Amino acid sequence: MVKADDIQDLLESAVDKMQGMGAEFSDARSQTIRVTGVSTTNGDLRQLVQKSTGGVCLRAWSGGRWGYGTATSFSKEDIDRAAAEAVRNAAGDGRSDLVLEPATVKSHRKADVRIHPDSVSLEEKIQAALDLDRAQAIDDRVLNRVGAYSEEIKDVCMSNSAGSDISWQEVRTLCRAMSVAAEGQRMERYYDGPDSTLGFEVVRDADIEEIGRVAAKEAIATLAADRAPSGNLTVISDPMVSGLLAHEAMGHASEGDEITKKRSFLTGAVGRKVASEVISMYDDGTVRGAHGSIPFDDEGTPSSCTTIIKDGVYQGYMHSLETAAVLGCRPTGNGRAENYGKRTWVRMTNTFFGPGDWDRDELIADTKDGILCDKMINGMEDPVGGCFEAKCLRGYLIRNGEIVKPLQSFTLTGRSVDILSSADALTKEVILDGGMCGKGIEDWVRVSSGGPYMRARMIVGGGQ
Amino acid sequence: MIHEAAERALKAVSRYPQCEAYASSAVVHTVYIDNSKISNIETKRDDGLMVRMIDGERQGKASVSLCRDSSVDDCVRMAESVLKFSPSTPNMNGYALPGKARHVMPDVWDRRVEDITPDELRELARAVIDNCRVNIPRAQIRVSTHDCVTMNGNGVDCSHRSTLVYGHFTSMAVRDHPGEGMETYHGTHLDLDPAAIGQALSRKAEAAAVCTEFKGHEKLSMILPPSELGDMITSSVGSAIDGENVKYGTSLWKESVGQQVASKELTMIEDPSARAPLSCVFDDEGTPTERRLVIENGVLRGFNRDSFCGGSTGNGMRRSSVEAQGAYERTPAIKPLNLGVVPGRYSREDMIEQTDSGILVEKFAWPEADELTGRFGLNVRCGYVIKKGEIVATVNNALLMGNMIDAVANVEMIGNDPEHMGVVRVPTMSFSGTELVGNRGGCGCSTAIWRWPWS
Repeated sequence: MVKADDIQDLLESAVDKMQGMGAEFSDARSQTIRVTGVSTTNGDLRQLVQKSTGGVCLRAWSGGRWGYGTATSFSKEDIDRAAAEAVRNAAGDGRSDLVLEPATVKSHRKADVRIHPDSVSLEEKIQAALDLDRAQAIDDRVLNRVGAYSEEIKDVCMSNSAGSDISWQEVRTLCRAMSVAAEGQRMERYYDGPDSTLGFEVVRDADIEEIGRVAAKEAIATLAADRAPSGNLTVISDPMVSGLLAHEAMGHASEGDEITKKRSFLTGAVGRKVASEVISMYDDGTVRGAHGSIPFDDEGTPSSCTTIIKDGVYQGYMHSLETAAVLGCRPTGNGRAENYGKRTWVRMTNTFFGPGDWDRDELIADTKDGILCDKMINGMEDPVGGCFEAKCLRGYLIRNGEIVKPLQSFTLTGRSVDILSSADALTKEVILDGGMCGKGIEDWVRVSSGGPYMRARMIVGGGQ
Repeated sequence: MIHEAAERALKAVSRYPQCEAYASSAVVHTVYIDNSKISNIETKRDDGLMVRMIDGERQGKASVSLCRDSSVDDCVRMAESVLKFSPSTPNMNGYALPGKARHVMPDVWDRRVEDITPDELRELARAVIDNCRVNIPRAQIRVSTHDCVTMNGNGVDCSHRSTLVYGHFTSMAVRDHPGEGMETYHGTHLDLDPAAIGQALSRKAEAAAVCTEFKGHEKLSMILPPSELGDMITSSVGSAIDGENVKYGTSLWKESVGQQVASKELTMIEDPSARAPLSCVFDDEGTPTERRLVIENGVLRGFNRDSFCGGSTGNGMRRSSVEAQGAYERTPAIKPLNLGVVPGRYSREDMIEQTDSGILVEKFAWPEADELTGRFGLNVRCGYVIKKGEIVATVNNALLMGNMIDAVANVEMIGNDPEHMGVVRVPTMSFSGTELVGNRGGCGCSTAIWRWPWS
């Protein structure tokens, strides 16, 4: 095992080497990532694995370009080779006009967890997955039961040419139950379970039996669901789908790199009204325990809260070192990479709408005709066109203020500004839900998104 | 290096009744384009190991990147620790048995990829930029070499080498409004044509920039080109023929072998002997692969299986068709290797001419069908509405709805233009029975007659 002090010395030495070779700015980031994953299917142990990966990312900024090099060992020789490769790959033309302004940070932080997963036996983790699986066995129509437990422990050390000397640990723990129910040829699914940047307390504090039972019960209930109506309809998004709207409809288009490239429909939108007055929206990497929270981004900038929309008026963008320099702003701690082998660019953390002042039941009762969403499948952004796509796992039809029947999976779309301008009511409680974001195609980072229940108009289409 | 690591690891776990070591090594060069300028160039190396063993009804498994002198020992120790706590799982089959190759090594290694320099990669990206008359806000070209070795206690000892070339390009034009185009390239050889990609990016962005919003709701046929059909076929047909889904009862075709599941026009062949990103002689568990019919004239002939399911067809894969990194981290899972639709006789122009009412989708937000049900409801970013054999409008902001499992039973025409899209090779195809929905009101299509293709 390479000691933290030793690796920090190696990183500083690599930064010195890159600066000596002509880099205008450089950083070096080492990561080790340890993962334990357990998943069971119908009582079979389908996955039980421990993984450990490690490496060093070297970046050099020169002539307005980044060069990257990756070392897959912690030897000085390998790190120095990658450092030279980074400078060579940058190979910009002359000096850049753009001056990056990283903060100089000296900080060493441990993960903020109550029960560190390292202190818990593998046996207990396996049992959690098996219990989630078993709890779903409530009816013969439950064809497929999946119980899953996963933890990720990421240790990061970082040094840069601004003199930063940082190390931190991120811990993520989650468990999930997923049921597939079947009747004849028809199959439907439902899932439930917590995610977090907390420790094993997430599992010990959870009602595992209830999580499994809910997944199974709701999968069975969805077997009776009808096809959703299609057209431009009133929709009450649940916190998960509200979050998907925040992330896909406005979040991606607020990433600084999309603005510097003028690829976003929100380019130049600061100060403009983009939503109704009930809408405020944030990206906040400091929310304790949320799945997308990070103490520092992968450029060493401390995480922060960015107000994106306040009372319907657009406020500002999320930034990396580079996009902040281009637009004359301060970096917001959103320069993130999937791991040491992937590029660092502007990514969200925890993105959500702020609360309103309605109760959920009051909101449903106030809706004459509409659809209530229940959980999401996935979504896709459209920063260029200003639209979005959100797939909902299921929903309910509302008639005259009452829920009348369940609806099978459907898709929401529309122009983001039109939808948010039509929003007229939000509930009081904001809930965040964790997931992965690929920014279009790949480069997966852990994020969360959320919000309250939100009522707005959008295009609905139900698959056959 | 990976051979040595795998040998050491296998020796260390050879006392278990079933044991396996898989090691992989990748070298990846990526060039990124931002705003029609070359922004980043990356060079990455990635070496790693996975060890698995079965003892009675218990299993152990661990993976590491080979980043330390102690990595092999660490991996073995972690796998043994997992084995110690593993509960009994009676449903485990053993690992692969040695078998003879059933075809020659496919042509999946391109020396030009191995030898490429950062300057050559930069020139390739520059050629795409120079051939595109609109902005390229975001793109990447990634070329990789990948080496892997699989060894197990049953006597399997095989290795595989391949190269991967992956390109993902977006373009943007502003006409009536901003419009975005997209092109992807999947392959093993450096045959990416910068001129063709640049021109396609220009045409697609310019078309998207004059789209009108679709209004209304109508039933029509959908015509999907390979770029949009590939993932739709993978997520629907790929899931329905997945042996693990059959094992656990979640395949819609679980009891359909020998039955008509698709239109008679549809024949699909798994062909790992042809040049394709995942083609190989042995899969990532060491089972021989072979060319075989999966759907013959619409009749289902069989499923894809791995060792976990039993009766492996050589579809137990760790490798990805687009990403050479991290294969050692993945447990083998069933994946098509090169699942191809046998091309038909229609050109895209023929298909448009013979469509009474339909939409040719240039770009979905993200093409996929639900793996469990086959349902889809997809945002159309750019589509061409067809009436009586003519394109009458370019539309966006609409949802195209249907079910892909139903769609393969409602094939109207199969094109003659197959392309690799990840693990499948598909031509343009036309299907009946889908619905398009937009905002309320009559169809907002313009009435101008457009022709395909546009110069």
